[in-house]
Amino acid sequence: MIQSSAIPGARFVEPKILARIGSLDLLARTVVDGFINGLHRAPYFGASIDFAEHRGYVAGDDIRRVDWRLFARTDRFYVKQYEADTNTNFTVLFDISKSMGFSSGGVSKLEYGSYLAACLAYMAQKQRDRVGIITFDQEIVTHVPASAKHFNVVLHTLDRAKAARPGHLSTPLKLMAEHFKRRGILLLISDFYDEPDDILEAIKPLRFLGNDLIVFHVLDPREIDFEYEDASTFEDLETTDQMPVVPQSFRDQYRSMIQEHINTLQTRFSEQRIDYALLNTDEPLDRALFSYLSSREKLMRVR
Amino acid sequence: MSFLAPLFFIALGTAVVPILVHLIQRERKHVVHFPSLMFVRRIPYQSVRRRRIRHWFLLLMRIAALALIIAAFARPFFRQSAAAMAAALGGDREIVVLLDTSASMGYGDHFEKAKAAARSAIDSIGGASRATLVLFNKNAEENMRATSDRGRLEAALAAAKVTSGGTKYGSALKLAESILSRSTLPKKEAILISDFQRVGWSSSEDVHFTEGIQLTPISVADDKASNLSVAVSPNFGRSTFSGQERITVNAGIANHGAEALSKIPVTLEIEGRPMETVTASAAPNAASSVSFAPFTLAEPAVRGTVKAGTDPMAADNEFHFVLTPSLSVSVLVIDSGERDSSFFLTSALGIGNTPAFQVEIVPAARVSATTLEKRAAVILNDAPLPPGAAGGVLKRYVERGGGLLVAFGPRSSWPSTEADLLPGVLGPVVDPNDGRGATIAAPDYNHQVFEVFKAARSGDFSAVRVLRYRALQPGKDDRVIARFDDGAAAAVERRIGTGRVIAFTTTLDNTWTEFPTKTVYLPVVQQLVKYLARYEQPNSWNTVGQVVDLSVLLKSRADRVVSTPAGERLRIPSTEPGLLELNEQGVYEIRTGAGSARPDRIAVNLDPAESDLTPLDPAELVAAVTGHAVQTTNQSSSTEPVQLSPEEAEKRQGLWWYLLIAGLFLLAAEMAVSNVLSRNERFL
Repeated sequence: MIQSSAIPGARFVEPKILARIGSLDLLARTVVDGFINGLHRAPYFGASIDFAEHRGYVAGDDIRRVDWRLFARTDRFYVKQYEADTNTNFTVLFDISKSMGFSSGGVSKLEYGSYLAACLAYMAQKQRDRVGIITFDQEIVTHVPASAKHFNVVLHTLDRAKAARPGHLSTPLKLMAEHFKRRGILLLISDFYDEPDDILEAIKPLRFLGNDLIVFHVLDPREIDFEYEDASTFEDLETTDQMPVVPQSFRDQYRSMIQEHINTLQTRFSEQRIDYALLNTDEPLDRALFSYLSSREKLMRVR
Repeated sequence: MSFLAPLFFIALGTAVVPILVHLIQRERKHVVHFPSLMFVRRIPYQSVRRRRIRHWFLLLMRIAALALIIAAFARPFFRQSAAAMAAALGGDREIVVLLDTSASMGYGDHFEKAKAAARSAIDSIGGASRATLVLFNKNAEENMRATSDRGRLEAALAAAKVTSGGTKYGSALKLAESILSRSTLPKKEAILISDFQRVGWSSSEDVHFTEGIQLTPISVADDKASNLSVAVSPNFGRSTFSGQERITVNAGIANHGAEALSKIPVTLEIEGRPMETVTASAAPNAASSVSFAPFTLAEPAVRGTVKAGTDPMAADNEFHFVLTPSLSVSVLVIDSGERDSSFFLTSALGIGNTPAFQVEIVPAARVSATTLEKRAAVILNDAPLPPGAAGGVLKRYVERGGGLLVAFGPRSSWPSTEADLLPGVLGPVVDPNDGRGATIAAPDYNHQVFEVFKAARSGDFSAVRVLRYRALQPGKDDRVIARFDDGAAAAVERRIGTGRVIAFTTTLDNTWTEFPTKTVYLPVVQQLVKYLARYEQPNSWNTVGQVVDLSVLLKSRADRVVSTPAGERLRIPSTEPGLLELNEQGVYEIRTGAGSARPDRIAVNLDPAESDLTPLDPAELVAAVTGHAVQTTNQSSSTEPVQLSPEEAEKRQGLWWYLLIAGLFLLAAEMAVSNVLSRNERFL
């Protein structure tokens, strides 16, 4: 289940309250600034090109990076390594399939995902990353290439996103993998209603270029705890299939199955060195931001 | 059980709703949108074919709950009597069932209705409740003492019969009050079941129930009851033909109904043989009379019956009587022997035949002891005491029961030797009021002689002027039965042995008084003689409820055997008082001794008041007895046990509440059970 791990001092507002803020920009500023102010150490990793370390020259290294001064002193070839260039691409891969439109009373998964994407895009933009977004369902719906000037376009795209069609991960993700030419940070937001193997199979290509992939598994509380009372006919939002369900009878088995699904995804993503975070639309956004920052920190150094 | 709104049972068709819910409404119409049924599909789902009912118990609970609720709307109630209802609603009761058994209850099926009502009341007792059955007519009898044993009560009720008695509610209500006031049970109720004849209740009845005792009247009266009754005039026409007495019977027909009756056959039967039948008519609520042809009365105690028409109350359609040839009263008049000295006296006694007076006039000088024999009365009319009657002869005659009237006049004298025979001490002749005369001012109307003058304007004694009388000073045991206006005794009585002596202080002719010329003369003389002769007119019939003293009636103290009209034989030993209560309508026959060939007879008829079925408003009676108005129960138009109106019964019982609560409780139980079951199963 979801475990809240709010950073001490962080004061986040409930998603339901965030929903009242009409502007995603304002929402992102509110959340991110509040989040950052609560951190004990500065989150800015700087955009310096400072020297990092020397390493031995190997064939194929660019001879322009040989430290000639050191060669003069030691008569050996060393290559100078510098802090990585922090100006990276930050692309949000946002699943807007119909199942993401589900809401059990608070904000829908789509809305929650929008807030999340807006917040992280804002944060990335503040770090002078280039931000872009790709929304998809069973195919790519919108593509906003990563750019330093596309933050507002990203927000606009998020604002217009509508969960209207059934979704499927493999096809659009395959297309995306072919598209990305430059490594960067990919943020995948989805509810992952697919078999874990199929999901992994679809996500793997994204990792080929060395992209840092952060996966946010967004679920509504009802999807996790299945707190329905009355026996009813349940309709699949994507396939529109119907089936009679007695929640009281189904609940325990359903819970164990969804938990098993989550655990499997977590394990499999971990194996693939993919950051995975399960988000409950009832929870504040701090866990998501923290996950992002952890990933960003790891990307600080390029070796 | 009955229902006030049985049409609601049409709704019983909804009992199939649970089945339809099972069989038809298999899928819930409520649709829940869910992101993905990916996991739900994996859960094994028992697709139960709902045509098969798995939980019959649940289904039956639902149907039963529906049926109970529908039954509640149908407003059920039990057809019980008011008493039963009261029993159902309250605690233990002490009830006294007062069942009218008077003759009027024999009208149609009134008594059967009354018994049904009483049975219903008895059925209502339960637990520690007790009931007492009181049968009453003019008298009340505690037929079955307070008991909870309904079997005994019903047996006593089954044995109850209509009697020939009259109706009187007062005695029954007093008995009920005494029974109930002794009871320690919390609820006390008297149930009066009757036709509520108005004649049975008088507002002067001093009956008041104490607080807490309830009186429930149950009327079986029929407002449109019509009744015909017959009665025979007590004054039979008696005439003599060829030395035999002939009797003319006059009968009255009373129509107690709102419709005129015509061509009513009225039959006279003598000794069981029809003698003559005539027809009569009677206007509504009116009476008419018929006369039958005279018949010869040759024997004593001849039984006769007059029967008239037919109607639901047969008892009063016949009237019984017993006739005996007239017996004359033998009177010996002793006078001075002068001509016409007893003219007025004999003339007065010669008129009339009830009774006929057989008068013999004998001069005082010729009276002997034998002359006095078999004389019912002796009149010493202005004559000296006869020598033949002296020496204790006359005294012995009186002591044996004879009657002596002594009328003083100018020729009267009374020897001192016979002073104890005379009521008082004889004094001198008195000229009252200086010769202006006196009047009889103060007759004793309580005395049998003057009783007939008791009513207003029944006898004008003030017109009787008495110019002279003999002073008589009454003894202390003598009774002055009349006085003059100057206070002197006019008539004094003395009882000697079983006989009576009356001294009249003035003459019975017109020598000293104008009395013989006044209208009161004749009845006074006849009353004096009848009194002294102990004459009693034989009753041709008696009324039910009267008590006769057989020893007086038959003048015999032998053993008596009485045959009642119902055929029962009663033996009354000579050692016991010969009192006989006449409880049955018909003719009683009494035989005395072994050699009595022809029995004496007593005819007994219903109280004429019983024929008047005009009902009393039971509420009036209840209000008078309890001080509270009450709603009465009328059963006049129903042959079933006494019932409240359906609305009233349903309202009192309120069974629908219980049914509704039971239905709702069943529904709640069904809900709980179904919840438990559904938790354990994964099918719809």
